[in-house]
Amino acid sequence: MLEQQLINGLTLGLIYALIAVGYTMVYGVIQLINFAHGEIYMLGAFFCVTFITAAGMPFYVAILMAIICCMLCGILLDIIAYRPLRKAPRLAALITAIGMSIFLQNVALIIWGSRSRPFPQGALPPFFREKALVMGDISLTWLQLFIFAVAIIMMLGLYLTINKTRIGTAMRALAQNKTAASLMGINVNYVISFTFALGSAMGAVAGILVSVYYNTLYPTMGYTAGVKAFAAAVLGGIGSVPGAMVGGVVLGVAEALGAGYVSSLYRDGVAYAVMIAVIIFRPSGILGRSVVDKA
Amino acid sequence: MNIGKSLILLIVAAVLTYPLVPQSSDYIIHVMTLAMVYMILAMGLNIVPGFCGLLDLGYVGFYGIGAYTAGLLTIHYDMSFWVIVPLAALNGALWGALLGAPTLRLTGDYFAIVTFGFSELVVLFLTNEIWLTRGPLGLPGIQPITVNLTWLNEAWYFQFYDKTPNFYVVALLVGLVFFIMRRMEDSRLGRAWYAIREDPLAAASCGVNILNYKVIAFAISAAIGAVGGCFYARWSMFLSPDMFKFWESFLVLCMVVLGGLGNIKGALLGAVILVCLGEVLREVLTSLGLPPETRFMAYGLIMVLIMRFKPSGFFPAIASSGRSNPLLLDLQKRLAARNAPKDEARDAAA
Repeated sequence: MLEQQLINGLTLGLIYALIAVGYTMVYGVIQLINFAHGEIYMLGAFFCVTFITAAGMPFYVAILMAIICCMLCGILLDIIAYRPLRKAPRLAALITAIGMSIFLQNVALIIWGSRSRPFPQGALPPFFREKALVMGDISLTWLQLFIFAVAIIMMLGLYLTINKTRIGTAMRALAQNKTAASLMGINVNYVISFTFALGSAMGAVAGILVSVYYNTLYPTMGYTAGVKAFAAAVLGGIGSVPGAMVGGVVLGVAEALGAGYVSSLYRDGVAYAVMIAVIIFRPSGILGRSVVDKA
Repeated sequence: MNIGKSLILLIVAAVLTYPLVPQSSDYIIHVMTLAMVYMILAMGLNIVPGFCGLLDLGYVGFYGIGAYTAGLLTIHYDMSFWVIVPLAALNGALWGALLGAPTLRLTGDYFAIVTFGFSELVVLFLTNEIWLTRGPLGLPGIQPITVNLTWLNEAWYFQFYDKTPNFYVVALLVGLVFFIMRRMEDSRLGRAWYAIREDPLAAASCGVNILNYKVIAFAISAAIGAVGGCFYARWSMFLSPDMFKFWESFLVLCMVVLGGLGNIKGALLGAVILVCLGEVLREVLTSLGLPPETRFMAYGLIMVLIMRFKPSGFFPAIASSGRSNPLLLDLQKRLAARNAPKDEARDAAA
């Protein structure tokens, strides 16, 4: 039983980690909690389903198209909403982020309706629901293996992008000191847009994986997932990409164990409680920098 | 008294006498009452982001705490509304202080997210603790507000099932909260809050104990939210956890931002505008065949546009405190008088 809970928690945790990475990268670069990130995740799922049902695309092509659309959405979000406020007080940017989140959510509500819908099963590879591994009471489906593989490959790719490429170096420079980075000839706005695109791609993948895993998608799905992923980012230490990955997995496992052993009614509460506890007792998270106000 | 001021007084007087007019419509009284409930909330929330510059995304949590405190005390102990109001306010302040004391030392973003988590936990608690709150079934059968004056006259026992008396009760509460806010704004407390908002480092250097003042602000704000919830419980006579979702926090924040962060009158006006807009949108959207929840799209857009083009709202905050302060006005006048000859000389030289 415990092992099964751990596997379910790990699946969920890897998905949280994918979303959390988007929060943490944007926070690292422009110190903004991008509340609308949860909506990008929701859009990813809806784009994918729309491409499958309306355009008749195969599953993997639809995923790619959805990722591209979400990257564009992320870039547009930055250009339209956040770029004009770079010099504004942080409160203004934060309120704008919440406003955009609610705006996008309601646009989706108008376009796709408020009812939750199933993921078109016909488009999925048929082996997804089959058991890949059965050991006593524990079972692992191919879908879970697929989620593990995709999440780990994406995060590995992200890690390499940030640490081994030119643009990744620029992102890290920006996170340290924006002025100095621009003096070194880094195009600040370009790098920020790239960060949004990268984060949105990860978010879109997470959205698609969740909607396949739970076989459901609805316009408000970005809300809870967004908050939980943010909690994961905080848990790992906001601004730190490896931290977000660790935080996501820890949170997913904690949630699965909490739901299994304490009370399934407070399933969502675990994330909030963990988040509040981390912020109170160790605001820098597991792997983060210190964030307490100097004043 | 200038024309603007007398106009405002006239409007207030007209609104207050409206329910007494025989042809008055129940619907309009209902909307006005609702607008006044939101006025209380907007004034209360205004303290935290407006005066102190901290984003509070969980205000509805305190509103919910106040409402359920009132509802449960009424159902189980049959207490009078006038006893419950201070009790609910104290309960709100208690939770505000408990949440604020450990978290207010954090940077603004973290604080915002903690308040958000708190309000979600409140909703989860209200939904799941069925033995106390009946969970998603809601809490029906809350008695309306009563006024018990039987110690003066045997016949003077009033129960406010009607819309009109409730309207006057909430008007009284709005007046009370408005008065308290105005007094606080110009007090030592208000000045400390403004100082923290403008520059925490400078405020600390001048001997302002930042954490204490922030916790006080948060507790007072929570208490006012709870008072709003208290009235709401006795007015609607039914409570359910769905009423205290994040949307409500967002709506109240939108009111405060629209009116201008830190401006009390702006918060009042923001509440009126958004409640009216909500009613209009409800009609328009249903006639377009859209679910009424999509009106939040308009709220989201309003927030984004205001932050982009009018970040200090429609009624910037400096006006209220600065321009009514006689000392500052006097100083301004003297400075103008001293600079006038210089300006003339410069003009002549040019």
